[in-house]
Amino acid sequence: MTKFTVISILFLLFVLPIFMLLPIKMVPSGDQPGYGDMGRVSIYGTRTFGQEFISKNNNLMAVGTTIKNPNLKNKKDINFKLFDEKNNLLREVMLNGFNVGDGDFVKIVFDPLSGSKNKKFKFVISSPTAGEEEIIELFLIAPTDSVLSYNYGDEIKEGGIPMVTFHKSGGVLTNVKTIYSNLLSKL
Amino acid sequence: MNISKLLVLAIVLRLLVSALLFHPDIKTIAFQTSFLKRGVVNIYPYLINNKAILPLKEEFVYFPLTYFTLGGYQAMISTFLGKDFNSWLQDAGANSVVNNPNIFKYLIFLKLPLLIADLAIAFILLKLFKDKKEGERAFTLWLFNPFTIVLIYAFSNIDLFAVLLTLIAFLYIKREKLLTAAVFIGLAVSFKLYALLFVPFLILKAKNTKEKLLVLVIPLLMFLVTIIPFWSQSFLDSALLSGLSTRLFGPSFTIGFGESIVMGLLLMSALFFAGFVFDHKFHLFNYFVTLLLIIFSFSHFHISWLLWIAPFLIILVVKRPILSLPIFFWAIFAISIPLFYSDRFMTISLFRIYTTWYDMLPTPFLAIQKFYDPFIFQGMLHSVLAGISLVIGYKINKND
Repeated sequence: MTKFTVISILFLLFVLPIFMLLPIKMVPSGDQPGYGDMGRVSIYGTRTFGQEFISKNNNLMAVGTTIKNPNLKNKKDINFKLFDEKNNLLREVMLNGFNVGDGDFVKIVFDPLSGSKNKKFKFVISSPTAGEEEIIELFLIAPTDSVLSYNYGDEIKEGGIPMVTFHKSGGVLTNVKTIYSNLLSKL
Repeated sequence: MNISKLLVLAIVLRLLVSALLFHPDIKTIAFQTSFLKRGVVNIYPYLINNKAILPLKEEFVYFPLTYFTLGGYQAMISTFLGKDFNSWLQDAGANSVVNNPNIFKYLIFLKLPLLIADLAIAFILLKLFKDKKEGERAFTLWLFNPFTIVLIYAFSNIDLFAVLLTLIAFLYIKREKLLTAAVFIGLAVSFKLYALLFVPFLILKAKNTKEKLLVLVIPLLMFLVTIIPFWSQSFLDSALLSGLSTRLFGPSFTIGFGESIVMGLLLMSALFFAGFVFDHKFHLFNYFVTLLLIIFSFSHFHISWLLWIAPFLIILVVKRPILSLPIFFWAIFAISIPLFYSDRFMTISLFRIYTTWYDMLPTPFLAIQKFYDPFIFQGMLHSVLAGISLVIGYKINKND
């Protein structure tokens, strides 16, 4: 029993965490910023939301943020378009409000963009067929080192939404190295 | 391996689990009990009245003795932990808490009282048996089974204090010192209410009316003395009648007109009266184990409750080796059920010190939900557990 216990505990502490890394195909660039108290914007019909941001790492493959879907009324298409600095359309993703709960953290996933590190991007979120009663809402925050500015209707302002970018994982070995160096840094 | 080498190995394993696995309860409790060193004596109304300004909003669900024990300990160690410790306690950020560079130190220090109680249990088990070899086997089994290590140090299980006191009570029961046992049961109840369930069986064990009266009054009185100074609506709501305290009597079936039969209570009373009417030898140990098996068979238990039965199962494995395998499977099923609750901190989030990337993984509950109803799956596991409990309960009571 002694050997069994020692092996079980060492497996739990040093092997299981490695197995748990296997399904992780993308990693966040950091923590999602807090919501702050800058209010929210509604998206429906022609009211779209554009956001400029900087990707902190290569292989950008998702943008995550909190989306409100009050009373879960939006069951319409939600379009996400990603542009480069020169306004070239890079990726386009379509979600459906049916799958977005009120206050869910939603990850919008697309094919990875290599060489995205420190580059400026812009995305536009819209729900063109949603009526006034079928809004989705995004929270607003002050600018950060990656969230630069947003445009809502005709307005362009500093700041944006509490978003976090996700990047294609560098593979299991890289991830293992990252988490164990993270652990060792706390010793 | 001799005892000192075993101890060193056991302590190393425990320190590793303490440092690397994090359940937020340990921090919440440490935050709440930190108010003792600031002079707050009655924590229950304090937390409720100051909810708006406190970074952590939870109420204190434990009894006053837990507050004073852990609060007193924290007051002693605070100087070793430095001034940043209080900032960490106040930190409500899910990620900054686990990314704190001092987290290993904080967790090890906060879990040290558990280590002391854990080792004390090992030594009591060592002394509990007349046969030296049996004692050593119990000592080793307690120190080297993965179940209790995970239950205590991953989930930061402070029920351990009540478990230790209950075991001390059992030691005195074996020595025929029922009144001293009643004192320790009283102390255990002052930490955790479940120990009160042992009192009716102590009464059965007592030899005469005077002793029966005393083993009833002593634990109740001790419990009342420790809670009456804090009696208030906030204490009642937070601790005494909290969901966890009352969950024991949850499962029931209706008999119409708003009445229902509470399964656990039905079986516990049957156990008590069976002892009262039929049993003349009256081995209290069997009643304690059967009582706990009933609880785990018929309640949606919290994972920390599993510790209540752990030392008794170790004794049972040593005394009845034939039950080793059923008990091993019982432990596997019992610990599996809470792992399938819809709670990230039962599984994946325990590893957030390694990386918060694990937040992207689904819990076992969600993983199962993709192809099957997780509640039905939990029910299946629980049914098997109840079945094994039935066999163990039958076996231990039949032979005596």
